[in-house]
Amino acid sequence: MSSIDEFVARGPLPQRSALRALLTLARRPRGRRLLKGLPQLNQLAGSLLAMERFDDPAVSGPLGWDPVAVAARGRDLRRAEGRL
Amino acid sequence: MSATLSADFCVIGAGAGGAVAAAELAEGGASVVLLEQGPEHRADDFTARPPEMLARLYRDAGQTTTVGRPPIGLPLGRGIGGTTLINSGTCFRTPKAVLERWASEFGLELDEESLRPSFERVERALSVTEVPAELAGRNAEIARRGAERLGWSHGYLRRNAVGCIGSGICAYGCPTSAKQHVGITYVPRAEAAGARVVTGADVRRILVAGGRARGIEARSAEGELLTVEAPTVIVAAGSIYTPLLLERNELGRRSGQLGRNLSLHPATAAFGLMDEVVDMAHGVPQSFFVDEFSDEGIMLEGIAGPPAHVAMALPLSGTKHAEAMASYRSLAQFGLMVSDSSRGRVRAVAGRPVIRYDVDDADADRFRKGIARLHELFTAAGAREVYLPLPRGTKPAEARRRDLKLMAFHPLGTGRADARPTHGVVDGDLALHGVEGVYVADGSVVPSSLGVNPQITIMALATRLAFHLLDSRVPDGSSDATGGVGISA
Repeated sequence: MSSIDEFVARGPLPQRSALRALLTLARRPRGRRLLKGLPQLNQLAGSLLAMERFDDPAVSGPLGWDPVAVAARGRDLRRAEGRL
Repeated sequence: MSATLSADFCVIGAGAGGAVAAAELAEGGASVVLLEQGPEHRADDFTARPPEMLARLYRDAGQTTTVGRPPIGLPLGRGIGGTTLINSGTCFRTPKAVLERWASEFGLELDEESLRPSFERVERALSVTEVPAELAGRNAEIARRGAERLGWSHGYLRRNAVGCIGSGICAYGCPTSAKQHVGITYVPRAEAAGARVVTGADVRRILVAGGRARGIEARSAEGELLTVEAPTVIVAAGSIYTPLLLERNELGRRSGQLGRNLSLHPATAAFGLMDEVVDMAHGVPQSFFVDEFSDEGIMLEGIAGPPAHVAMALPLSGTKHAEAMASYRSLAQFGLMVSDSSRGRVRAVAGRPVIRYDVDDADADRFRKGIARLHELFTAAGAREVYLPLPRGTKPAEARRRDLKLMAFHPLGTGRADARPTHGVVDGDLALHGVEGVYVADGSVVPSSLGVNPQITIMALATRLAFHLLDSRVPDGSSDATGGVGISA
């Protein structure tokens, strides 16, 4: 399951169904064409897909963000200092 | 299967209010059961990836949304630590003017001096200090540059952190455990003092007989019945869920105010494209404020995050979005928060909260002004382009309510304190009107908008409540002594 699918799956029921349908549309060429006529939904779908894309370390890395390194640095610091 | 526990105090909710009350009561010698509906989150599981962390640390994956004009996202934490786990850590005491309003409007005998020992005690427990400039990051430096050029009042925020290295993701789980949320401060203290902490406990009933509390019934994560026998129940499920729990148990309804008077801090943010490298996620995301317009109900505060956070929040689409994201390292972000005059209501529909909240004309006008101020701030700081949270081509002064792209934080007021039983849900000691032995210790008791982040207010009120229940005074100064106190529920 992708991170965005987990995000959608843990949402409340009305949003969950709506977002799944929205993402299904946004991932298909015909759906994307349909969404162009619905600017607010199009922006929401675009934001969700952009969040998924830029969450990928391969994409965020060249932008200066390496989540694996951030988490590892935090873990090492916690262990060194005996934090919870 | 069922289990029964007995205690002097049963506390429902391990967030800002409940964790503090539980720890202070336990350290004061009382037996305490602390119930939390969500799980315990461990820092080892924090991945620094926003979508995953939204799904795991936030209630409903951060998708709680108000119904109204416009709909507003209202992120809430879930689990040990509550929303303190995922907030930005900003610490303000309750403003003096707000306390004066509470005294005159709600009959609450609270002032700066009487609350000072509680504030000091909380701030000591959380290690509250001002963010040093070198940790604030370049995102804050840009806002500071703009504010200085405009002559606007500003400063570095105070926050609860120890050994922070500026990981840049406070809202997605601090990977270094630098942020001193109550899950790593007060909850361990409560446990060390003998409190029993139960996670996955969904409290369904507050047991009342003969006009006073007798305990609670909850369902465990495995569906088993858990009964806690306790003469005093402290409800601290937060401003959205506390009124639902009380309503379900037909408690706190006499004034007609339960679930009403919902105050939020609706907020939005703008981006500036700079000529310099910003790397906004390097440093403390919320480290700087501009309070030049606080008298108008507009507070500007820092916000920042990694690329996935910005990709979601950037008010652009298509090619413009892609171009801006390609320049992520040069993007700066700053937010504005409105001290609202709008009021909403929380009700249960099929057991789930429905949050009705319409932004009123005055607040819409605050946003128009605030967004224009954000544009000024970034322009003064040297931004090449400014991306406002409005539809393309819309000027701030012309923005309609439906044009506003808002989030909201800090829900307050749905179980408001008022000395008069006809006007409030709890009294000045946070005791529920109309029943003995039920208290509320969360943001719901806060009777008005604060204009500042509320965690210290909630924790100070919980501290005051705990010592009241221990029939003691909050220790003044640096003394931490709590011995020799009795229990008066």
